[in-house]
Amino acid sequence: MEALINQFFEIEKKSLEHQLPHFERNFNRIHHEFTEMGYKIVNPLGQPYDERDTALEANLMHPGAKKITKVLKPIIYREEANGYVLIQKGVVIVE
Amino acid sequence: MSNINFGIDLGTTNSAIARYENGKITLYKNPVGFKDTLPSVVSFRKGRIQIGDKARELMLTQSDNVFASFKRKMGSDSTFTVPDWEKPLTPVDLSSMVLKELVNFTQPEQPKAAVITIPASFDTIQTNATKKAGYLAGFDEVVLLQEPIAACLAYSNSQSLDLTEVQHWLVYDFGGGTFDVALVRIDHRELKVLDHKGNNFLGGVDLDNLLVEKIICPKIEQATGQTQLWRRMLSGEEADCKKLYFELLFKAEEAKKELSIKTQTAIELDIPFWDAFLDIDLSRVELESVLRDKFEESYQLTEGLLSDNAMPFSAINRIILVGGTTYIPYIREQLGLRSGIPVDTHVDPTTAVVIGAAYYAGAKPMERKEVTAAPSTTPQNEPAVEIVFEPHSKDAEELIAVLIQSPFQGFYRLTRADGGFDTGVLRASSKITEFVPLLEKATNQFTLYLLDEHQNIVYQNTSIAITNGLYNIMGQPLPNDICLEVDEEAGKTFMERIFKKNDILPLKKTVYKTTSKNILKNSDEKLIINIVEGNAGGMIGSNLSIGYIEITGKKLPMDLIKGMDIELHFKISESRDLSVSVYIGALDLEINEVFNPHQRHVALDKVALEINAVIQEIETEMNDSEDEENFTYLAQLKRIKDHLIVLHQEALEGAFDQSTDRKYQLDEMKRLTIQAYDDLVRHKHVLLEIEEYNRTRETLESYLEVATPKQKEEFEKIIRNEKEVLQSNNKYMIRQKTKALDDLYDSIYMKQDQRFYNAFYYYRFLDENEYTDTQKFMKLVALGETAIERENIPELKAICYQLWDLLRVKPKSRDEWENFDGDLGLK
Repeated sequence: MEALINQFFEIEKKSLEHQLPHFERNFNRIHHEFTEMGYKIVNPLGQPYDERDTALEANLMHPGAKKITKVLKPIIYREEANGYVLIQKGVVIVE
Repeated sequence: MSNINFGIDLGTTNSAIARYENGKITLYKNPVGFKDTLPSVVSFRKGRIQIGDKARELMLTQSDNVFASFKRKMGSDSTFTVPDWEKPLTPVDLSSMVLKELVNFTQPEQPKAAVITIPASFDTIQTNATKKAGYLAGFDEVVLLQEPIAACLAYSNSQSLDLTEVQHWLVYDFGGGTFDVALVRIDHRELKVLDHKGNNFLGGVDLDNLLVEKIICPKIEQATGQTQLWRRMLSGEEADCKKLYFELLFKAEEAKKELSIKTQTAIELDIPFWDAFLDIDLSRVELESVLRDKFEESYQLTEGLLSDNAMPFSAINRIILVGGTTYIPYIREQLGLRSGIPVDTHVDPTTAVVIGAAYYAGAKPMERKEVTAAPSTTPQNEPAVEIVFEPHSKDAEELIAVLIQSPFQGFYRLTRADGGFDTGVLRASSKITEFVPLLEKATNQFTLYLLDEHQNIVYQNTSIAITNGLYNIMGQPLPNDICLEVDEEAGKTFMERIFKKNDILPLKKTVYKTTSKNILKNSDEKLIINIVEGNAGGMIGSNLSIGYIEITGKKLPMDLIKGMDIELHFKISESRDLSVSVYIGALDLEINEVFNPHQRHVALDKVALEINAVIQEIETEMNDSEDEENFTYLAQLKRIKDHLIVLHQEALEGAFDQSTDRKYQLDEMKRLTIQAYDDLVRHKHVLLEIEEYNRTRETLESYLEVATPKQKEEFEKIIRNEKEVLQSNNKYMIRQKTKALDDLYDSIYMKQDQRFYNAFYYYRFLDENEYTDTQKFMKLVALGETAIERENIPELKAICYQLWDLLRVKPKSRDEWENFDGDLGLK
């Protein structure tokens, strides 16, 4: 399932980069289906980087790197009996 | 006396911990990030100690504060100076921190003894230094085991090899950062490392860099016209190039993994600063071309090891693989081909050492007297702690304040249970404050640890739960449930709850439904979207319709076919305006409506339909209850029914009256009358649904042992909120749950041979007149009985299909039951 979510994330990212807004409804629908299946997908693009965030594998560009400028893989959580569990760390570049 | 049971691979690059129990090995996952392994890296930054992945992140940019590969310096007089730290740290101190972090994986268990692995090359001083690190980490007993021996144990135990003659095995360990090869002699279950060789700077990380440098960079240069890309990326002078380097390194690692299973792969690169979007093909042959030299280095060391020991390859019985790099097919093939020795790939090479260590620990008795497992908190030393936090939050982060009332010298740490947050270890003061990030729309469970000066846990509190978004403390609560009416079966509808009573406004939600009937273009057929306010457990007619949309065939640009998707978006503002957006993707038709509490929509034909449905239900109820001779109850039912008959008639007649308020009055009276009926029967009906649910669950449970793990998981998922549903007083919700269990039962049943036995006996005992050809029926029955005797399932299956085919009237399949035409057109 992670592979499927990663592919979906790539397609969504490309469509945003190439300004193809007519897929938005379809993306929302797929997100909804993933949520129904118990997955939570987080795209931290543009967020400030928190060194305590263990859901991320960060590539820090310099010692004062603060902002997430590129997301190579999204964060994926899955709902289990006792709440959410991290199943894939996000891979990001921080500048 | 019990055994040690815990095994630790204290690696140069990565470490891991596992436990032996009843013949099985459990590999502990890091509760922070949920990985099997922990990078052996420690960072110290602004008073924060981080161990593992987060420390490794800082290696490239803040190398002064990050310590890795300290295992290579074990037993030396090297020290590491840490700003704001009282004294320099030794490799033993750093190793003990990694060991303590591994012990945290085993919470709430607190191992007091462990087997820790060491490289075959470790001398006595290095060996003793590792033991010291183990004692510093809080172990009372440390047993050391050489890594190649551990790997051999993992392979031999996992395959239960019974070796009765002397054998020689080669342990080929190609890890992330180092290469080691060892020659092991096995003599009647006794293992001994005869000799070893290694290179501390040869590992998988080098391969990723080579792939970027030698293969990917030239391809980018060719496509973009750039030059000297590799040099520019490493120099760090151009920020864009440096950023690209990180991306390429990540993609090279992914490609390397893919090329282990496929011969071709591709990486996509979007490089906006050169206005380039590249699709770069990579082949296994290309990877092998850069890998060849590195493999040669490792192979020469292997050959050297054997020639030093005057042994030909033919004297080796098998090669054992250790380390992630050995996943690469080229390495496996070349090793096998050139040495002529079978390469054993039975065990995951990344965890072989820790698994072997755990096997050894499982057979090794503890020498020291076993101390009863100390609880994670020792009451006499436990500091008095008060924790203050807001249990419900709308925000992305919340404050947790910790007040330590007794004098305390030491550290603290806060982690989130989903694995996505860890403060690292920080010096504690009497008042600690941390802003913690929250996972949206979830209950965030945090654990607070207090650690003494030696970083041993002295206090632990797991009860810090902050719920984000699910409940809200600001804003107006919704006074009633808001539901959407959907078709349940032919002639019956039910209410699906969209928003729950006491949810806080504003609210929004998108639901996806399908059409349950065909609506042809220009026809009078219609799709009805009815949104009601009231009690989700009550009957449709007893609730107030607050939003009503009819989409007739005349409004459609083309035919609406049964089974098409409908997207419904609901929004309720703080002033309780209800906005409904309906989108039918297949027709690209979007309808938006806003309803507010001052407008009421009453469609009299819909009112008549609802009344009629309840009249029929009352008649059924009266028939069913007749035998009970509860005359008061029957009289009450009759009174309500008579009233509804009058209202039904008025609704039919009033359909032509568009000018007076009568239809509103009629709608109100209908609502109150149906409510009276609902109050009368609801309790009884809910009880019946609960009984049905329990019966279904019991049947399913007795059948679960033949279910697949996925089906068992599905069962757990269905029953997860069972208590809440059974106590909801909502028969529709309970019925939906029962249906979900029923569907699961069917999916398990359909995979069992038993279904053909049952089907055969069902057909066998039907009256022969129900078949079109009696003679053929008799013959098939005889054949079926023989097939059962011989347990010939394929034949029995064919006979069942033929019997079905012979039936004059075919029984309805489940699909047919579900494929009804709905009243509303929405399910």
